[in-house]
Parts: sequence; C-alpha cells; structure tokens
Amino acid sequence: MEAAFSRITMTAASAMLLLALVVLWRRHAGAYITAFRTQSIALAVTGAVVASYGGASELFFVSFMILVVKGWIVPSVLSGMDAKRQSARELRPLLNTETSLLVSGALAVAAYEISRPLAEVMNLPTRGGLPIALALVFVSLFIVVSRREVIAQIVGFLMLENGIALLALLGAYGVPLIVELGVFLDVLLGVLVMQAVVYQIHDTSAD
Amino acid sequence: MDPLMTDALVIAAQTAFLIVIAPAVVGYVRLIKARLQGRRGATIIQPYRELRKTFRKGMVIAESASWIFHVAPFAIVGATTAAASLAPVVSTVQPADLVGDLFVLAALLMLGTFFLALGGLDPGTAFGGMGSSREMTVAALTEPTIAIAVLTLALTTGSTSLGAITGTVLKTPAYAIGPGHALAFAAFLIALIAETGRLPVDNPSTHLELTMIHEAMILEYSGPYLALIEWAAAVRLTLLLTLAANLFLPWGMATSLVPAALTVGLCAIVVKLAILGMLLALLETRVAKLRLFRVPELLALSFTLALLGAASSFFTK
Amino acid sequence: MLGAFALGAVAALVLPLGAFVRRTALVFAAIGSACALALSVSVLRAGATWTGRWDNLLQPLGGVSLRLDSLGAFFLLIIGFTGLPASLFAIGYLKQIDRHMRSRATHTLFNVFLASMCMVTCADNGGTFLFAWEVMAVASYLLVISDPEQRDAPTAGLWYAVMTHAGFLALLAGFIILAQGGSWEFPALHSASTLLAPRARGAVFVLMAAAFGSKAGLVPLHVWLPRAHPAAPSHVSALMSAAMVNLGVYGLVRLVFDLLPPGPPWWGGLLLGIGVITALTGVLYCVAETHLKRVLAYSTVENLGLVFIGLGFALLMRGYGYGPLASMGLVAALLHTLNHAAFKCLLFLAAGSVVHRTRNVSMEMFGGLIKRMPATAMLSLVGTLALAGLPPLNGFPSEWLTFQVLVAGAQRTAPALAILLPLALAGVALVAGLAALSGVRLFGITFLALPRSTGAQHAQESTWMMVLAMAIPAVACVVLGVAPASVIPQLSRIASDLGQPTGPLSAGLALSVPLVASRMWAAMIAAVAVSAGVAAALVVRISGRDRPVRVGAAWNCGRIIQSARSEYTAAAFAEPLKRVFTGFYRPMQEVTVDVHPTSRYFVRSIRLRADLVPWMDEVVYGPLVRATRGVSDRMRQLHSGSIHFYLALLPGALLLLFVISRWIR
Repeated sequence: MEAAFSRITMTAASAMLLLALVVLWRRHAGAYITAFRTQSIALAVTGAVVASYGGASELFFVSFMILVVKGWIVPSVLSGMDAKRQSARELRPLLNTETSLLVSGALAVAAYEISRPLAEVMNLPTRGGLPIALALVFVSLFIVVSRREVIAQIVGFLMLENGIALLALLGAYGVPLIVELGVFLDVLLGVLVMQAVVYQIHDTSAD
Repeated sequence: MDPLMTDALVIAAQTAFLIVIAPAVVGYVRLIKARLQGRRGATIIQPYRELRKTFRKGMVIAESASWIFHVAPFAIVGATTAAASLAPVVSTVQPADLVGDLFVLAALLMLGTFFLALGGLDPGTAFGGMGSSREMTVAALTEPTIAIAVLTLALTTGSTSLGAITGTVLKTPAYAIGPGHALAFAAFLIALIAETGRLPVDNPSTHLELTMIHEAMILEYSGPYLALIEWAAAVRLTLLLTLAANLFLPWGMATSLVPAALTVGLCAIVVKLAILGMLLALLETRVAKLRLFRVPELLALSFTLALLGAASSFFTK
Repeated sequence: MLGAFALGAVAALVLPLGAFVRRTALVFAAIGSACALALSVSVLRAGATWTGRWDNLLQPLGGVSLRLDSLGAFFLLIIGFTGLPASLFAIGYLKQIDRHMRSRATHTLFNVFLASMCMVTCADNGGTFLFAWEVMAVASYLLVISDPEQRDAPTAGLWYAVMTHAGFLALLAGFIILAQGGSWEFPALHSASTLLAPRARGAVFVLMAAAFGSKAGLVPLHVWLPRAHPAAPSHVSALMSAAMVNLGVYGLVRLVFDLLPPGPPWWGGLLLGIGVITALTGVLYCVAETHLKRVLAYSTVENLGLVFIGLGFALLMRGYGYGPLASMGLVAALLHTLNHAAFKCLLFLAAGSVVHRTRNVSMEMFGGLIKRMPATAMLSLVGTLALAGLPPLNGFPSEWLTFQVLVAGAQRTAPALAILLPLALAGVALVAGLAALSGVRLFGITFLALPRSTGAQHAQESTWMMVLAMAIPAVACVVLGVAPASVIPQLSRIASDLGQPTGPLSAGLALSVPLVASRMWAAMIAAVAVSAGVAAALVVRISGRDRPVRVGAAWNCGRIIQSARSEYTAAAFAEPLKRVFTGFYRPMQEVTVDVHPTSRYFVRSIRLRADLVPWMDEVVYGPLVRATRGVSDRMRQLHSGSIHFYLALLPGALLLLFVISRWIR
C-alpha cells in the first residue's frame, strides 16, 4: 500500500518535471500553456492521492481548487493573452535549446544532491519525490531567468508556484487550508493583472 | 549435447532469426504507415521481393571509387551481424554474454556506420560527403544517451551484459522498474530513432537529396551492394527494436532453454516487435521531419531524460 | 642500449656528410630502441628489477642511479617500441637533408632524445630524473625548430621551451619540498614523504602534477602541443606524441603511487575533472582543424585526457578506500597509454609520408591518395579505425575497460560521489563518438575521392623502408585489438607492484570485469564479423557469374561533370558539429565586400575568411604574456646607461646579502 502510494506520487512528480522540460524544448506558446495545464492537473491528482492516503481531507478541496484555478481559469487567461500578442514569431530564448536542456539536467542533479540529506531524515513515504519537487523549482527559476518573451516567463513563474505546492504536498502533506486559499488568490490576481498590463508595455522584456 | 555446441547453436539461431525477419519488420512498418495514410500499402513480404530484385541487378561502379567502395558493404554486413549475434531475442540465458555486452554492441553499430560513411565519401560526390558528415554527427551525439541509458540499466540490474539485464528485470520487476527505467526507455527510443534514421530525424522514403542523411551515403551503390546495405539497415532497425522490447519489457522471455519456453519467447518477441513497429509507424505519421540543425536539440532532450533516469535510479536504490 | 645511442650520436657528429651517416646514425638508433624493447620485455616477463649506480658521474646531483622496475619497464617498452619504427622511417624520410649541415645535428639530437627518454624511465634519483628530463626537453626543442621550411617553427619552439622549463621549475620545487633536505634517491623520498604534513603533500602533488600534466598535454597547459607537434619533422612528432607525452603519465603514476603515500580524494577528483575537459577539448578541436598534423596533435590531447580519466578515477577510488576499483582504473589507464602509443605512432608516420609526398600540409589539399599511395592508405585505415576506438582494433578494448570501471564505480560507491561518475561516463561516450567522426574525416578527406591539388595528384608511394616502419605499429594495433588479454596479466602485475592488487581481469582470451559481470571476447567478435562479411562476399561472387558490372562516371544525382571542386572538404565535413558547439568554438568570420566606387550596388568581389582561433590561448595565456611583457619593459628602464647606477648596484647587492644572512640566522 505504502509502496504503491510512494510510486504513484513519484510518477506524478516526475511527470510534472518532464512537463517543465517541454517549456525548454518547444518554441510555441500554445505548447507552454498546454504543458502548464497538464502539470496543474497532475498536481491536482497528486493532491488527491495524498489526501486519500494521508488522511488529510481538506486536501481534497485544495486539489479541486488547483484543478479549477490552475487547470482551467489561468490557462484560459493565458491563451487569451497569447492571442493578443502582436508578434507571431517563434519564441527565441537567451540560451539555445541544447544548452538549456543540459543546464536543466545539471540543475536536476544538483537538486538531488542538495535534498538527499533531507530525504534521509524524513520518514514520510513521499520522501522519494522530494528531490523531484526541488528540481522542478530550480528548473522553473531557470525558465524565468533564461527566456526572453514575457509569456514564457509567466508560465515559468506559474510552474514555480506548482513546484512549491508540490514540495509542500510531498514534504508535509500540504500547508494549512487558509494559506492555500491565500496563495490561490495571489496567483489568480497576479495573472489577471499581468494579462491586462504586460502587453501594453512591451512585447518582450529585453529588446 | 556438448555445451559449447548448444551455446553456438543458440547464438546462431537468434542471429538467423533477426536477419531473416528484418525485412518483414520494415515491410510491416511501411504497411501500417500506408494504412494510416489512407493507402492500401504493399504486403509485408514486399521488401524481400525488392531485395531479391536488387540483388540480381548489374552494378555500375564510379570510376573515382576505390577498394573501400567494394569493401564497405561487406564490412557493414559483418559489423551488423556481429552486433545482432549479441542481442537477447527469445531467452534470458545468453551465451553471447561471454562475448560482449551493450557497449560492444553499440561500438559494433558505430563500426558499421563508420564504413557506411567512408563508402559515401569514396566516390567523391557532394551528396555522399553531405550524408557522411550528417550521419557521423548524429551518431556521435547519440553516443552519450546510449551510454547513460546503459548505465541506468546497469545500476538497477548490476550488470551491463544483455542476458543478465533481461534476466534481472524479469526476476525482480518491482526493484528494477521505476521512473529511472521509464526515463531510460524514452531516451533509448529517441536514440533508436536517430540511429536507424527514421522520422523525425531522417525520412527513410525521401527522394530529395538535400533532406537525406542515410540515403545520401548510398546514392552511388547499386545491385547486390545496395541490397546488402538495405538489408543491414533493416537488421539494425530490428535489432534495436528487439533491444528496446527485451531490455525494458522482458516479459515472455524464456528463462531456460526448454523448447516450450523458447516457443513462448518467440511468440512474445514477435508480438512485441509488432506493437513497437505500430508505435513507430504512428509516430512517423504524426510528426514532420526536423530540420537538421534541430536534431541536436532532440538528442540533447534524450540525453537529459537519460541523465534524469540515471539520477533517479541512484536515489531509489 | 645506451651505448648504442651514444654510438649513433657520435657517428652523426664524426662521419662525413652523406647517406652513410644518415643510415649509420639511424640504424644505431633503431638498434638502441630494439635493445630497450628487449630489456623492458625481459624485466616485465621475469618480474625482476635491474639496477645500476654510478656515483662518480653527475656528482653534484647525487650521482647517477638507475633502477628499472615493472612500471619503468612498461614505459621503456613504449619508448623502444615507438623508437624502432620512427628510426626506420627516418632512414627514408630524412634522405632529403643529406647535403645540409643540419643533418648532423638532426641525427645526433635524435639519438640523444631517445637516450634521454630511456633514462627518464630508469631514473631512481631525483637528480638523474631531472637531468634526463632537461636533456629530453632541450633535444626535442632543438628538433622542433630544426626544419627551416616550417615558418611557424620558431614560435612553436618558443611556446614549447617556455612551458617545459616552467614545468621543470615546478618539478624542482616539488622535489625540494619532498626531500626536506635529505637524500634525493627515490626509495628515500618514498619513506620521507610519510613525514610531510598533508598540506605540503598537497603542494607537492599540485606542483608536480602541473608539470607532468603540462608534458602530457592537459588543458589548459596543452597549448604547446598543437604548435610543436606539427612543426617538428614527422618521425620526431611520432616520438613526441607516442613516447614523450607518456612520460608525463609515467611521472604522475610514479609520484602518486610510489613516492607519495595515499592521498585525499580531491587529487583524484581534480584529475578526473581535468581529464574529462581535456578529452572533450582535444576531440572538439581535432574535428575542426584542417592541418593534418595538428589534427593528430589534438587527438593526442584527447587520448591523454582519457588516460587521465582512468588515473583520476583510480586515485579517487583509492582516496575513498575502494582498492580493487582503483587498481582497475590504473590498469585501464595504462592499457590506453599502450594502445594510444601504437596507433599514434602509426598515424604520425603515415602523415609524414603523405605530407612528404604531396608537399602540402592541409587536409584541404589532399584526396585520392588511396590510389596513389595504396600501402600508406591501408595502414592509415588501420590507424584510423584504432583512433576511432572501434572493434576489432586496439582503441576499443581500453575504451571498453574505462566504461566498465566507471559503471562499476557508479554502482558500488556512495551516492554523493557516484553522481559525478555518470557525467564522466557521458563525457567519455561523447568523446568516443566524436573520435569516430574525426576518424572518418581524417581518412575520408585525405585518402578518398578525387585529388584536390596537383601535389596530391602527383603523389607517389613511399619507399619500402618507410612502409615497413609503418607496418610495425599497424601489426601491433591489430594484435592488441584482437587479443588485449595478452597484456593484461603484465599490467595487473604492475598495478600490484605499486601496491594495488587487482582481481582477475582476463579469462582466457577475453577481457572480463567480474564486478559488473561483463566480458569482451575481441577475437570472437572479430571472427564473427569477418566471417559474416566474407560469407556475404562469397554469396555475391558466386551468384554474380553473369551479372554485368561496369565502371563508369559517378551518378552524382545526374550531374555530368564531377570535379574535385564539388567534393566535400574537411571544413565542410565538420560544419554540422561546429554549429552544435558554436559556443565552444567561437568561430571568427570576416566578410569583406569590395564594391565599385561609383555605386555600392555593383559588387566587385566578396571575401569570406572563416577561422578557428583557439580562444583558450588568448584567455588563459594572453594576460600572462602581457604581464610578462609589462614587467620586462619596466626592467628595461633599469638599463639606463649611467655608469654610476651600475657601480652602485655592487655595494647594494653586498648590503642586501649581509641583511639576508643576518635574517636567516
């Protein structure tokens, strides 16, 4: 039972990390939004699994909120933002794709190294997924830093949020409900502000 | 029977199976692709007919070519056959483990590519040089992925020998199968596509020379030489598909040299080849060929997947 | 052995100019190499040690004391084994300088060079070692600059001289710290080093590893290699690449396994990391260069990187206490040293004959040589297959063994350490793949297709003596590739003599690594491949009795005229790879457009200049060179010409000496 629980959470966490790699590989904004949507759904599934095995029933509500807010509302807002984007050019990052992928591989390895002592001390069955969650956080930060277009940076930031939520889920079976609700509100508000304001200023952030 | 004789017989039988069934695998993939594209497609045995026809034709040898041109097809056949003799096809009891392991197999495939590239450069044509240059670049960039995939398998199974890997994964699946295994499988599939020159890396049925990688090297070959090279390419595809099936999903393989178990193993590999062939055809119909200078990005992705797989294998130990 | 070299050197100086002196001097060199070979084989086979001591020679340096143990014998074997073909090759190759005065110097220096290298491997005394090292450096420097037709020889010689002498100073400092004022005999140093503080040991390691690493061509101290090897005559380049750089490996192995006690793991980690970077740098430049000998020089850098990966791994494992893995790493490194010596010697000699016959050095000017120089081409194919690390030749077994030890290390060690080994493994795999690319390029562009210049068109085969000289290492390549297990017992004995016992690494004719349960039976693989190929050939021949075969123009996609201008060039072959690694190469590209004065829309000519400048030289050495120039410019101001200033210097120095002597007391 426990083994299946830890395997499922690890698989879901690995899937989330691989979806972050899609942002580094593809050059199409629609792909980024789809990756983010799938990643949020995976996060919701992880939350539901942790809720049922870990016995924390408010996590069911949190998973539902993740599904609605990050799996539906935010991606539609992002798609709207993308449709209004002036330039239809391919998105070109600061670092080329091979280097980005290799750097993200190195970041994942570094995340494994850093979280190894922590994983040894914990005795929750989800500790195997902790390095993956930390790797997701690092890779998302790298996405924010190394992409030129604002839409990619926003998706990177949202994936960072997902990563931190995953870290909280796997490390401590989630944070208190009120904190989660506050985070959701911040994310939603942030995205709404960004989509209204960003493309008034400029198309890319470095020109 | 003398154990040495049994061993030699097992190795010879597995090699012969791969060599004989290879054109059928290529024909099967083409048939599925045709059906998916709405055509009727030729039968599975059509490649055999084509090979027989090509083998009987006369040859025109370029006057700028040298003895390398003549030796290359035989060297390719030799290297590919030696690689095929190492692969576990029906049983996990592999006497070929005494001869070589996965690294040897990869090196033998590279030997075949080396001579193919030389054969492309020999007649001194521009497209031959182009094909050789592109092929060697793709082959060189695929090497790290294969090495790390081998490492991932070795970490979870304790050996780099092919029979030992399949045996261990079959015996202790809960230990061996994990996210590392799955990631290594994905990376190996991408490396397979690159090594055998299928879409999205190279289009095997293109006739536009500027888009060719593998075909460009064999433009000057004709007659039996061409037949041998095409056959070797088919054997390479079958060999790599067999490896993908048996190293990562070895269920159905015989664990002892009993005739009943061997028959089950034979059926299992045929079924697995059919499934993998169908997936390959599906992928080829779905994606477009990548620009040549985007291929390294795909290979970097496969390397990252393999590296993540190796890293996660460490931490589930 | 040394007597034969001495005779050769003397003969070169004394006899009248002409063919006779060339033959005599070089025959003596060959005899000397053969004696070295015989001596080393007897020491390795019997396991005995040979010593000699002469206290009256070189008295200030502590006398000459020589000892040949199994490690030294192994490297002496490499020297003799590469010296023999090089000497035989030179008999034909140096015929062109018979009438010149410099032939005397060249032959003398060649013998001296060989003799000094032999002495380095036998030295048992710090003074003898340094003396032989310096003689070797000076002899090779003079040989590098000996060819007046090479325009960049003086610059190359300068880089080489400065770097090797910097290394010499580092070695001297290392020996001084190690000896701590006592005897400089190696056994005494071995026991004295245990009394050193760990920090001092670390300093000795860093100093001497830098010196030996520079000689071996580790990045970033490798910059002399791609300059000096192409400038030297080919037989000297062969010796430098195949024998002299290995002495850097010898020195390092002697230092860390014999002189110093087992050290902390960071030594091994440092060497492993530098080895990976060196191998990658070497192979990337090897693929991009178009000067034939520079390609081979960078390939030397790459292979020495692989050797240091094995050595670094061995030290790392020893530092963490995994003995068997350490000895396996050492054996892998030594095996690769031997294999590299064989095929690099062959390739440099072949390059020498190609350059000699076509009167060109750039690969862009070759082509079609397989029909004009068939024997050289056949032997080069053997060498190129070995360089590419492909079975069944000898580049493959040592690469295979390196892979296996890295996998075994990753399996058995703690995860904190083991996570670095996959990166090293990926690096070695990438190097192997790129080496295959460079092999195809080297052989294909140089020998195949149509000739790209008149020099290549009128080339002729080399003399039989030169071909024989190339055939010797070619045979060794094949033998070592098909039966690598024949030398493994000797290498295991060397490792256990150094205190690192290994388990059984060979079973019958196969290499086996029990720790990962993998085996490689090279002979069987070769047999299967060859028989399959032969069977296919027979089938084609038998079934093709009435098959029409005709020789005609190449199809070339329907083009009527095929010319050398439409062939792929060496630079073009490497183009896709250069694009992938643009960040590393930082290629320089300059486009000059010449327009008609009246209107800029009428273009008269466009010139494209694309160059590959090794940026590492500028980044690492540029500041150093500029700082040195700045200092020496300041110093020049001291030479003001005023006699009072010069007179004042004398009592000033005297005063300073008094002060210092008071302070030391």
